[in-house]
Parts: sequence; structure tokens; C-alpha cells
Amino acid sequence: MLGFLGNVLTDGPLYESTFRLAAVLAFAAVGEWVAERAGTINISVEAMLLGGHFGAAIAFTASPNFVLAIAVGGMVGVSVAALQAWLSHYLTADQFGIGLTLNILLLGLAAFLQPRFDLDTRLAGVTSIPLLADIPVLGPALFGQRWPMYVIYALVPLTWWLVMRTNWGLEVRAVGEDPQAADVSGIRVNARRRQAILYAGLLSGIGGAVYLFGQVGRFESGNIGGKGIIAIAAVIFGGWTLRGAVAGCLLFGYVDALRLNLPTILGYSLNSQLLASLPFLATIVVMLLFAKHTRQPVALARPFVRGLK
Amino acid sequence: MRVVLRSAIGRLRLGRDQRELALLYVACLVGALLVSLLLIEVNGSSWTRAVNALVDGAFQNPGRWGETLRRTAPLLVVAVGSVVATKAGIINIGQEGQLLVGAMGGAFILTLVQPGNPLMLVLGIALGAAAGALWAGLAGALWYWRRIPIVLSTLLLVYLSSQMAAFTLTRGELLLNVVPGEPNRLLQSAEVAPGSRLGIIEVFGNRFPLSVPVALAMALGFGWLLSRTTWGFRLKVLGLNPRTAQRAGVSDVRYGMSAILVSGATAGMAGAMMLAGGESQYKFSSGFSSSVGWDGLLVALVARNSPLLAVPVAVVFAALRSGSTFLSVAGIEAVLVDVVRALLVVALFIPPAISDLRRKRRALASLTERT
Amino acid sequence: MTQPDVTVVVGGGAKAPSPAVAIRSITKSYGALRACDDVSMVLQAGRIHGILGQNGAGKSTLMKILIGLVTPDSGEIHLAGERVQVTSPQQAADLGIGMVHQHFSLVDALTVWENVVLGDRSSRLDADRARALVAEIGGRYGLGIDPDARVGTLTAGQRQRVEIVKCLRRNPRVLIFDEPTSVLTMEESEQLFGVLRQVVRDEGGTVALVSHRLEEVLKATDDVVIMRDGRVVAEMPTSGTSPDELARAMVGRDVRLRTSDAHHMRSGAGTDGDVALRLSGVTVRSRRGGTELDGLSLTVRAGEIVGVAGAEGNGQRVLADVLSSLRRVTSGTVEVGGAAVDTGRAGAMAAAGIGVVPEDRHDSGCVLDMTVAENLALTSLDRVSSRGALDLPAMRESAERLIAQFGVSCPSPDVPMWTLSGGNQQRVVLARELSVRPKVLVAAQPTRGLDVSAIEYMGDRLREAAADGVGVLLISSELDEILHLADRIVVIYKGAIVGEMPNEAVDMARLGMLIGGAA
Repeated sequence: MLGFLGNVLTDGPLYESTFRLAAVLAFAAVGEWVAERAGTINISVEAMLLGGHFGAAIAFTASPNFVLAIAVGGMVGVSVAALQAWLSHYLTADQFGIGLTLNILLLGLAAFLQPRFDLDTRLAGVTSIPLLADIPVLGPALFGQRWPMYVIYALVPLTWWLVMRTNWGLEVRAVGEDPQAADVSGIRVNARRRQAILYAGLLSGIGGAVYLFGQVGRFESGNIGGKGIIAIAAVIFGGWTLRGAVAGCLLFGYVDALRLNLPTILGYSLNSQLLASLPFLATIVVMLLFAKHTRQPVALARPFVRGLK
Repeated sequence: MRVVLRSAIGRLRLGRDQRELALLYVACLVGALLVSLLLIEVNGSSWTRAVNALVDGAFQNPGRWGETLRRTAPLLVVAVGSVVATKAGIINIGQEGQLLVGAMGGAFILTLVQPGNPLMLVLGIALGAAAGALWAGLAGALWYWRRIPIVLSTLLLVYLSSQMAAFTLTRGELLLNVVPGEPNRLLQSAEVAPGSRLGIIEVFGNRFPLSVPVALAMALGFGWLLSRTTWGFRLKVLGLNPRTAQRAGVSDVRYGMSAILVSGATAGMAGAMMLAGGESQYKFSSGFSSSVGWDGLLVALVARNSPLLAVPVAVVFAALRSGSTFLSVAGIEAVLVDVVRALLVVALFIPPAISDLRRKRRALASLTERT
Repeated sequence: MTQPDVTVVVGGGAKAPSPAVAIRSITKSYGALRACDDVSMVLQAGRIHGILGQNGAGKSTLMKILIGLVTPDSGEIHLAGERVQVTSPQQAADLGIGMVHQHFSLVDALTVWENVVLGDRSSRLDADRARALVAEIGGRYGLGIDPDARVGTLTAGQRQRVEIVKCLRRNPRVLIFDEPTSVLTMEESEQLFGVLRQVVRDEGGTVALVSHRLEEVLKATDDVVIMRDGRVVAEMPTSGTSPDELARAMVGRDVRLRTSDAHHMRSGAGTDGDVALRLSGVTVRSRRGGTELDGLSLTVRAGEIVGVAGAEGNGQRVLADVLSSLRRVTSGTVEVGGAAVDTGRAGAMAAAGIGVVPEDRHDSGCVLDMTVAENLALTSLDRVSSRGALDLPAMRESAERLIAQFGVSCPSPDVPMWTLSGGNQQRVVLARELSVRPKVLVAAQPTRGLDVSAIEYMGDRLREAAADGVGVLLISSELDEILHLADRIVVIYKGAIVGEMPNEAVDMARLGMLIGGAA
């Protein structure tokens, strides 16, 4: 038992996959964090991830350039987000209904279009960062990854700065807390909300692309299967703080990594359904422990129409 | 003041709004269809063949509208339950999982008790409903106890349910039908006992199970419950203004839970009835729900939370499903229908949203007090 | 600085300097209602202008036009002689027009300095500079406030300081105050008037003080414009007028001013009736541990009107919420007719016989998307249903009766609640609450935002209810309203009742001290 615990805590490959899985979640979660701070919940991050995943695959097939393909992935994510934003925060249609429909639409589109393209993608190369990658246990996990993964290192502080240290971010936070007051202060409430959703789309799209080149290598329409939803859970788990959301991603990434690595660590196979359930079970259990103690943006999921409460 | 009100109300009644709305619907639907047709053409198929295949598969060929009706039943039942939850302001979007769990629960009686009898049929469907209610109730409990958003927990439970269903199909002592001397490559249950199957109605060569009239009755029944009983009235108050509800004696836990349990139970019931009505040759498998739960939810959304309006919408959605089986015959991926359906839903979201917004803005502008 | 040069005179003639603001023939209609009807007025630099009028006279609409929240149908605005189009609050700020709002312009979750710079895009976000700015402006006007405090934790008076600092930081040439004293203690009001005086005297700014309070306008302004029914009906220097003259112009007829010695005719039931409502040691703590009600005790007897006076934000909302079953008490008891009520249980207060006309009827008083008939049946569903099935004809009939009885103006009981005007919505709420013959009626800020006839109507109904033996608890931050209606006055301060006096023997000085927490 102790040996098992030791392995679970010090196993190098386990941490490597933890980081890889957490990074994908983090792209979506960091973006969704901004959107939720502005007062919207986007079930469609799932669709944004998938859009980025698929868009990057097509772009890479057309022209094998990782940077370009990741950019295209981001743009596809933005397009999905634009639909969500326009429908839910311009036309004020139900944001959950829209999100769900977009998820179904993107899944169908990807499955329908996939056979038309002879998709040809591969993993990006591993870039170890000298010295840092030599730190025992955590070093290879954090600094011995395929290079697209490193993008998240830049995006987390950038996003924090954007939301906590710029006028735009201040307005985004105000809009999520009290849209009436923000309106009176001269802020275009629904415009800020739409912009925040677009930002979520950009990050999720990039995340989907990075997932393709940093981890799976080949496009499958089922690859995303629920990652967007877990990213939303990570935001809630984190109590709508960026630090908390990233911690949530690491936690859920760790559980997901356990799913992949437990059989090797333990040396015998576990029930595969139980393993596949682990991330979802863990999400529920963790939220059970923490959800009640957090304070959510006051206007979360409440549409704003000037003059109507 | 009175004059102002009159004129404001009068303007609402004027045909202008309705005409505008109708026009918007036509424009959006045409838009969605154009995009769909474009997709087909880009994909190298002919849209006329696609449309013909859909119409043949859904209505025209012998026995096909019976098939469409068969597929209408679970969509309608799920939709009716979703309407109940939405009325109470609860966003249950995990019908897909609740339906699967319901079918699984039903399978424990329907496929295991052989040779079956009508009592077992009723019990099986009841167990299915109970399982669906439990699955949704879990999300409800997590909300009222620990404030975990229902949107999120119901979704997470969808993923869990499919793993759970798969698990029951790995064990012979659970639902897996172990065929002696053969490897169990098909992970599915035994057939529903012949005595426990839903009766089949046959009209002009079209065959559909009893679940069709049951679904219709449920739509009417819940339409009545929601609009003509104190329970429905209170759900509505709770959904529209929870604080006023609390003050007026509508307990959010009690009524909110009742709504989420009903929505879970209907989804579970839909699953059990699908099984007893002959879906996938009366056998339960892990992919059994085949997105009926998602579609049922979309039916409710498109029908703008009216159980009666859900009836025609469910028929349209079912027609797309039954028609899609003919698409592959015509050499077009059946998954196209998923795209078309989602596009249609998006298109149907737009007109009421636009007209609502405009109507509220106009009424507001004409009524804002001079303060 | 983005302000226009204020000395520019368009047309180039050597005339006297143009007024700071000239409003020319502004008209704004909402449907058939003329909120502003050919309004013209001139605001001079270096003076405080009172804009006086009843609720609904059009003064707020006019100010909203000035700061770009509302677009006028016709008319012109000139700033220092130059014609301008104001299309957004942002642009108004750029033009040097600032407004201190009555409600809704601060975000609770943000800090003071964040609120102060919110909506300003003229420079990069810089916390240190913003903090320094808050301190500097605060120092200059005597409005000290901790820049890092969360606005949600501040008192009403402190919040208004933040509002003022937020407005002043952009150095507005024209400063508009919308009903600024309704949330303030007397002391805070005095201080505010000092700030206004400083703005016009030391900086040559222009101040518009929008108010419906005579004494405030008399005390704080240089000139006064009186509006009624969307028109300007009188303009005069404040020094040459009297309360009676102002009141007459404001209401359009002779009125008996509400003063403390206005004797209202009462049956004399009141103070010796049975105890209808008794709160003993009621304490409510928020989830984060703040004390919102602090051992509050009070009694209301059948047939009397008890007025709860106090500056806003001293626990009035929580008190009303407790009596609406919206909050559970942390300790203490609530008894109705001698029987203890389970606080916080849905509908328990209503079932025990407490009717409530809430402060914000949209929040807990009615359901805007349901019909008038449905709203009227909310708390008495049993009477319009049998064995769980609604009796729609009975519901409609009862609605029609109440609509007639309470003079609700609506085309049919089946129209949605949101199509009614505020005054009529209020009547629907009152009708419903009185129709179940309550033992106690709680009226929280019952006349806020209503026009003058609706206010009179509400007062009459409250008196009638008391005459019928209902114990009435009137929670209001309008002292006039309480003096006008209550038999007995209690003062709420920081979540507790700190003093009590009968209306016949009211001691205004002591009352003021109590409200300000100084006694």
C-alpha cells in the first residue's frame, strides 16, 4: 500500500501526462474563466475546443506548418465563440441552449467533414528546456514537453494581467458583477461580454490545436469528449479565481493521468469503465467539497437588457 | 395613463409582430436549409438525392411514417420532462444520461425476467422512470445541498452514465447476454422478454408501438398539469421569480426537486419504453440512447417550453432520424442529419429571440415612467 | 484633458460669456407620454441650480438626456455656447458633464479605487495612481475614504462619497446630483452641501441638484427651476422664494405641507390594541459573518401604524426580508398574534398573517412575466383552486373584483404584469396583500418612484388598513412620510432599534440625532 502511494506520488510518467492533460484543460479553463468573470457560461467551450482541434488538422494537412495550424485552430475557436456570443449576448437567446446546440453542431460537422479530407497530421517535436528539464520528477513533466504545450505558460500570466491589470479587464469584471452599474458607468455591457466569449474561443481553439500537435497527433472527432465540460468545472472549482482554475486543471489532469497510468503503476489492470469514469467522478467529488464555499460573479448567467432587470 | 397602456397593448396585438416573426422564421429556416444544401453539394453529393432520400425514409416509402412515429415517442416524452424542469427555472441538460440509465434500469426487469408478462412491462418502465429520476435527483441534491450548478452536474452525469451502462454489459451476472460457446464481442443484453414488449399498433401497414399514444397523452397531460394546477402554477412562479416564490410559500427545494425528478423520470421512462418498444432489436447496448436525450432536449427548446408545441417539433426531429437511415443508401453519411438538425435548431432560436427583444424594447420604451 | 474649451463663443460676437449649459426646447416622448415637453433652461457657472419637481415631473429624464443615457426626440443642448450631441455617458464625461446617481452605479465586488476609475479609458489602469487620486480628491473635499475597501462593505453614506469622488475625478464642469440625500443622515447631507458649495465657489463649476425635497432645495441652492408634468413651470432665485410658493408651483395647487404638526384624523385605536407583531432580540448574520440585524426588538399593535425611520442601509432591507420569509434569523423570535413563526421557511410569514409591500416589488413582490390575475392570486392559491386544480374563472373573477376595488388601471386581468406602470403594479401588490386580510402589513419604502397621486393613494390605504385593525409597519427613509402617517416612530440604526417616540410628541432634534446614530 505504501509502495503504491509512493509510486502515485513520484512516478515521472504520471506527472508528464498530468501536465499534458492539464494543459489542454487549462487553455479552455483560462478562457472560460474570463468569460465567466464577464457573466456568461459557455457550454460551447467543448465545441470551441473541437473546432480548434479540427481546424488545426485541416490547416496542417493543407500546409504543414505548426504555427499556422495553431493560429487557424484559434480562429476556428473564435468563430464558434462568435456564434455563441452573437446568439446569446446580442439576440439574448438562452445561452445554455445555444451552447449545447453548438456542441452538437460541431461534433456533427467534424464527423461529416472528416472523411472528405485526407487528414495528415503528426506530433510536434519535443523541446526540452536545458537545466529545468533535469529537475527530478517534475522537470521532465514541466519542461520536457512537445513545444506547443509551452504556449500555456505564456497565456496564464497574460490572461491574468489582461483581466486584473487593464481597463478592459476591470470592465469585464464589473460587467460580470453588476451590469446595471457598469452600464451607468458608460460601459457597453454586452459588447464586453461578447469580447470575453471571443477570448474564450481563441484560447479554447488554440487549446484544441495544441492538443492535436502536443499530445494525440491524429484527429478523431471523439478526442475532446467532455474536456470542455471539465474545464468549466475547473473554473467553478477554482472559485472564479485564475489560480484556482489552474489548480483545478492540474487536479483533474492528475486524475485523468491516473486513469492512463494506474495499470502500469499497479502492475495489473483495473476495470476500464471505472477508470474512464474517474475524471468525472473526481470532478463531482471535488466540487462536493469546495463548491459551496466560493463566491461566484453575481450576474453569472444572467442576460442583460438595458432597463430590464 | 390608460390611453398609453391601451396603445401599447394594441401595438402588441397588431399583426405586425406576428408577421415579422413569421417572416423571420421563414428567413432563418431558408438560411439553415441553404447552408445544409451547400454542405451536401460541397461534399460531392446531390442535394435533390438527399432530400428525396430523407422524404422517402421519413414518410413516403411503405411503413415509414410508422417508423417516424415510433421515433417520435421518446423524443416527445423527453421534451415534456425538459419543459417541466425549465418551467421551474432548472437547467437540466443531462437527459441523454437519464434516458440511458432509465433504459438500463428497465433492462434489468424487461430482459432478465423471462418469458415476461404485462406486469413486468409496467414494472420495467416504472423502474426505468425511477432510475432516471434518481440520476437527475442526484444532480438536484448536489445543487440544494452543495450548490453545484445543475447545468454542470447533469452533464457530468451523462459521461458517468455511459460508463456505467458499459459496465453492466461486461458482466454476465448483470445485463450482458452470454452466448455459450461464442466470444462476447457484441456487448449487448438479451432480448426483451416477448411477454413484456409494448403492444404494436398497425395502421395501413405502418407499425408503431403503444409508446406513441402514451407519449401523446403525456404531452397533453403535462400541458394540463402545467397550466391548470397549483403545482404547475407554483413551478412557474419559482422559475420566473424565486424570491417572490419563497415569500408566497413555494419552497424552492420541494418544488425544484419535484420538477427535476419529473424531468429525470420522464427521460428514464422514455429510455425504458424505447427498449420495450423495439429499439435496437429489443436489446440494450451501451450506445442505446443514440442522442435521443439530446434531441428531446432540443425539441423542448425549439418548442419554447410548450408541451403541445413539442408534438409537431418532435415529429419533425423524428422524421430527420428515420429519414437519415435512407441517406446512407443514397451514399450520403447519415451524420449529415446531425448537422442539419443542429443548424435547424440554431435557425429556430433566432426569430423568437429577435422578436422578443424588439417587443420588450418597444413596450419598455412606451411605458417607462417619467421619473 | 478632453474637455472642450469653455470660453469659446460660437458666432464670434463679443457677447457676454455663454451659460455653462443651455437646454433648448428638449422634448422626449414615451408613447403618448411626454416625459419632457419643450423644456428649456439655463445653468450658469458658479451657481447651484435646484431642479425641483414631484416624482414623474420629468426631471430625471431631462438629466438622463444630459448625460447621454436617453436620446431626446428633439431639442438642443449647448455647452458653453457650443451645440453638442450627447450619445453616451462616456461622451458626456468627455464633455465635462458628470452625474452622481441615486442608485446602481457602483459595483459591490470591486474596491473603491476600481470603482472610481471604472469606465474611464483615457489612461492605462494604474492602481497606485488611482489610490493617490482617491486620496487627493478625498482630501480636497473632505471626503476621506479607504481606496482599497470593497464597496460592498461600505455604508450608504460612504458609498455616496465614492460616487462623488468617481464623478469629481474627471473634473466635470457640470455636476448633476440626482436625489442625493435620500440615503444620507442629516449630518452627511450638510457635508454634501459643503462639497457642492466648494465645487461652484472654488472651481467655478456648475451644479444641478435634482430633488423633490423643498427644504433641501431651499438650503443648498442659488436658483431653482420647478418642473411639473414634463414642463418647466417656474424659475426663480432661491433667496426670493418661500416653501409655500415652491410647493404650490410643484404640485400645481395649494397644498398643506407635510409637517410634523400635521394632525391626521385617526380613530384612536392604536396603542392599546392587541400585539399583532412582536420581534424580540432578532439578530441576523450574513454568511460572511457580518451582523445585519443586531438584537432588534419591536412591537406593532393591531390598528396602529409604526414607522421605522432611519437612514438607508441600517438593516431595513433585512428586516423586511425576515418578515417576507426571505431570511432566517440567527437568533431571536418573531411572533404574529402571539404565535412564534418559523423564520426563513417558505411562505411561513404570509401564512401567519403578514402582508408585505416590498421595497423592490420586482424583486419579491410580483412576477413580471405572469398575468395580473395570476399575480393577484399568488398568496391565496387555495381560494382559486380545488384539490390542486386551478379554477380559472374564479381566479379571473376575484382578479376583476380586486382590480375594481383598488382602482388598478389595466385593460384586462390577463395582460402580463410588466405591461403595467409602476404605480399600478404597486396597487396590484397592495391589493393582493390586503385581500387575504392580514394581521400585519409591512410597507417598505412604499412610495418610492411613484407619482404624487399614487403616493396619496398609498397613504390613504395604509390608514384604512390600520383603521380596520391591521397592525401596519411602515419602513421608510423618507422622514416626511413617517411623520405624516405613523402613530409611533421607532428609529433603526445599525440593525437595532435605538429609540422610540409617539408622533404627537415628536422631538425633531432628538429624532435627527437618533437617525444619525448620535444619541
